[in-house]
Amino acid sequence: MQTNLLSTVTNAKSSQMSEKINHPQLCEWLNAVANSRDKKAFTLLFKFFGPKIQGIARGKFPNEAQASEVVQETMSNVWRKAHLFDKDKGAATTWVYTVMRNVTFDMLRKIKGNKEDNLSDDIWPLAESMVSNDESFDDHLENKKLLTVIEKLPEAQQEVVKGFYFMEMSQEQLAEHLNLPLGTIKSRLRLALAKLKVQLGEEND
Amino acid sequence: MIKHHPKFELIQAFVDGDLPASLSAGIAMHAEMCPKCQEKIVQLTEHAAEVSFEEAFLDRFIVDDSHAVNNSNNEIDFEAMANLVSQSDDIIMPEPTLDKSIVFNDKSYTLPKVLNNMEIGKTSHIGKLSRARLQLNENEIHTSLLQIEPGGGVPQHTHKGFELTLLLDGTFHDENGEYVKGDFIMLDGSHQHNPISNEGCLCYTVANDALHFTQGINKLLNPIGTFIY
Repeated sequence: MQTNLLSTVTNAKSSQMSEKINHPQLCEWLNAVANSRDKKAFTLLFKFFGPKIQGIARGKFPNEAQASEVVQETMSNVWRKAHLFDKDKGAATTWVYTVMRNVTFDMLRKIKGNKEDNLSDDIWPLAESMVSNDESFDDHLENKKLLTVIEKLPEAQQEVVKGFYFMEMSQEQLAEHLNLPLGTIKSRLRLALAKLKVQLGEEND
Repeated sequence: MIKHHPKFELIQAFVDGDLPASLSAGIAMHAEMCPKCQEKIVQLTEHAAEVSFEEAFLDRFIVDDSHAVNNSNNEIDFEAMANLVSQSDDIIMPEPTLDKSIVFNDKSYTLPKVLNNMEIGKTSHIGKLSRARLQLNENEIHTSLLQIEPGGGVPQHTHKGFELTLLLDGTFHDENGEYVKGDFIMLDGSHQHNPISNEGCLCYTVANDALHFTQGINKLLNPIGTFIY
């Protein structure tokens, strides 16, 4: 089992929650970002969390530019990873806190240890890994090779291939997830598969 | 059953992101195997988030005049930044993760996912001990995977700093009892012990100083202390 801070079902009205934060509202905005890439909802989230993140980052980083970087990087991850948020597994505040703490941790490590290994998401995963190693793959070598080939695809195609094969999402789910027309998903998948065939064929010879 | 857990202060610091990567990873791996600590982490994280994002929290920082809020150069235009960030159509999918494993003396161990992106150094051997360093660049803090072959052990020693041993596989025992997979054993300079593994084990170890052997002829081994941790 993966350590996942958000995996235990927490009651949204647990004793830890104060009345000072409008949790249902934040949750709604975050879901709007996840489901419909809602820019207005994102701006509202940004106005709520931005100043607070800046305040906290000022306590951890000596200079103002770094504190701003934490704000930008955290909110940028909120925008790009909102689909990993699951309201049944915890509050929006807890999820954003995890994103902020992870960004801060990796930045401090980069500054202090000169290491850009970005370990935070391994230590504090933002979502349960959707891939089970045992069930999805039997042959690790074959797998690694396949992955290397997939990594060479253009990013737009990689997304679709990974979602379709590794996360076993349907084309319809992918369309919704990536907020793209179904036709685009289908054509990207077709293109990607054509390339993979060529690549794997070559490498198998 | 797991009997040894990280103490509360350590879990709190973990949740706050204040521990080095080595200890953070140790706690994360322990929590994977220990639902009780996992539950504590969930609660403390929820609480930390609540405290961080309450309106009142900001007031604590405004008093500091070096960060005067009315300094317009320092003020972020949050709306502009929101517009900038949301121009990107990228979304980040979780990378499919592959199990990472390590082989010591022909025995292969699947490693916890927490270690997936850590660089592992070459393995060195002394007697029934094998060690591979994890390259975390944390100065005086050294992190390793340590295998003890069946019947092997570490001579009685103490530490000038701290020593964390997280048992990842197998069992060992010392003067204080038997340890099982998942046990999180934190020792400091006031402890002396002599771990022995009858059936062999794999440990994740973090220490901020070399071991110091304390007994009889083993004192001659002191240079080896730096090998083990």
